[in-house]
Amino acid sequence: MDVTLIVQMIIAAVLGTAIYTIIGIAPGTDETAVLAPVTLVLVLAGLEPIIILTFFIAAIVAKKLTDSIPVAVAGIPGGVMAAPMVEHAMVLKKYGLPDVSIRKMASGSVIGTIVAVPVSLLLASLLAPFGEGIAEYAGPIFFGGAIFLAIMSKNRWLALATILPFAILIQGLRHLYWGIGIIPEDKTVFTSFFLGITIGPIILKLFELLNRDIREKLPRHSKKEIKVKKQSQVKGFPNPFKILDKKEVKTASIASFTGVLTFFMSPVGITIFLGEVFTKHIKDPVKRASRAISSMDGLTNATYISGTLIPLIAIGLPLSPTAIGPAIALFQAPPVLTEEHNLHHLLSMNEFVFATVIGAVIAIGLTYYITVKYSQQICAFVFKYIPHEALLGVFFGLVLMLAYRDAGWLNIAGVLLIGLVAGTLHRWGVNYGVQFMVLYAAPWMLGLFV
Amino acid sequence: MKSNHEKEEYIEVWEDVVHIKDLVLSLIICSVTTMGAYLLAPDDATKSLVFGLIGTVIGFIICSIIIKPKRTFEYVDEEE
Repeated sequence: MDVTLIVQMIIAAVLGTAIYTIIGIAPGTDETAVLAPVTLVLVLAGLEPIIILTFFIAAIVAKKLTDSIPVAVAGIPGGVMAAPMVEHAMVLKKYGLPDVSIRKMASGSVIGTIVAVPVSLLLASLLAPFGEGIAEYAGPIFFGGAIFLAIMSKNRWLALATILPFAILIQGLRHLYWGIGIIPEDKTVFTSFFLGITIGPIILKLFELLNRDIREKLPRHSKKEIKVKKQSQVKGFPNPFKILDKKEVKTASIASFTGVLTFFMSPVGITIFLGEVFTKHIKDPVKRASRAISSMDGLTNATYISGTLIPLIAIGLPLSPTAIGPAIALFQAPPVLTEEHNLHHLLSMNEFVFATVIGAVIAIGLTYYITVKYSQQICAFVFKYIPHEALLGVFFGLVLMLAYRDAGWLNIAGVLLIGLVAGTLHRWGVNYGVQFMVLYAAPWMLGLFV
Repeated sequence: MKSNHEKEEYIEVWEDVVHIKDLVLSLIICSVTTMGAYLLAPDDATKSLVFGLIGTVIGFIICSIIIKPKRTFEYVDEEE
């Protein structure tokens, strides 16, 4: 490997970090929506595959670090994967500790990265010989995941009962679009349905506001008073192992390790599930919440990295939710990359390791520093100047655009429909994890009835 | 549009309080700027997405200027 290439990789990592540090802070930026198109452009522009991988890894690490910020300050996930943390971050916000939650989450993220990179690379090389066998069973694996998460959830019978109807809704819309010819038969609507599920609870609420009776019965509030405890500036370079206490480090590491092993499952689902398992026994609400967010952030970061690297290295097919979403351009970007000719075939193990390490180290070095050092200033700014209405508006606008982009005007109504159903299910206690798994498994499930 | 907000007039949407009229206004502004920019963009899959994102940012900035956050914010000293 020559020096020019290494310099190019470093530049790519710095650029990826800078861009996605900003995008990560912007609330409601769906990972797939913001990562896939940019990566696609780089692939189509003909950059070296190893440079693209470096860029991508830096981007996801940076984005995962900063998407905790809107969760902590506004309870709005900076990305889909930050959604499960909202509940716990709200607890810390209530106690006037939003900046603590940012620091804990960012530190959890760093641990997630440190654990995930080596474990993913190792697991990938172990799995490589079985790659082809696994690839055949993507459908049943996702279906099994949906059943598993449903059984693990609080309302298991309800969750189980909704799996097939929800799959019918998703495939029904797809077949409708194919049937009336608004999208070609070889294209499957995915991103906007994904978003529809994500913002389901908000869509449901907005529809409810249209109903006069419900609107008038809604509880009214006065202005929200936020008091933040002034904290001393973190001196020197922040150290994640000091910001987190020993137990938090341990839980975050175990959670991250588990996240790597379950790379093929919905990261959101696994995060919710493990977050509950690891914190159920803690009584003190503040301790419980900070343990939960640090381990969840580590976990989402780990599933992200493993979900990209393991299918890429071992299988060559996008066989994880991350791979089929944000990382899709590394697997398939015709005419440059195809299923038979993508990063799996183009890069050696050493190159994978090298690109991943450069990307991750640069992203952590830059973004972790900014996030931890200035979390309080960032919080203060957001609280004072950013109205919640504007954030909801942005989210809504993005969903409209991506719905239109996927399948035209009709799909906006389609996504609203999915949002209504998903939002209702969510309110009843069917968590995101089950819903995402169904989204992935739907084509296979309905194929069983043919 | 902010002076006539009486106390106890806000509702909670997604863990924070909003004013319904401001919310509707924001939804309209962001939808128009986002979709407007997306549809005005040159006919190219990537460019239109970038335009759309810029439109979203513009909508966000407009909303942040004309709508006041429904929060009061202050630092408190640590008392222990």
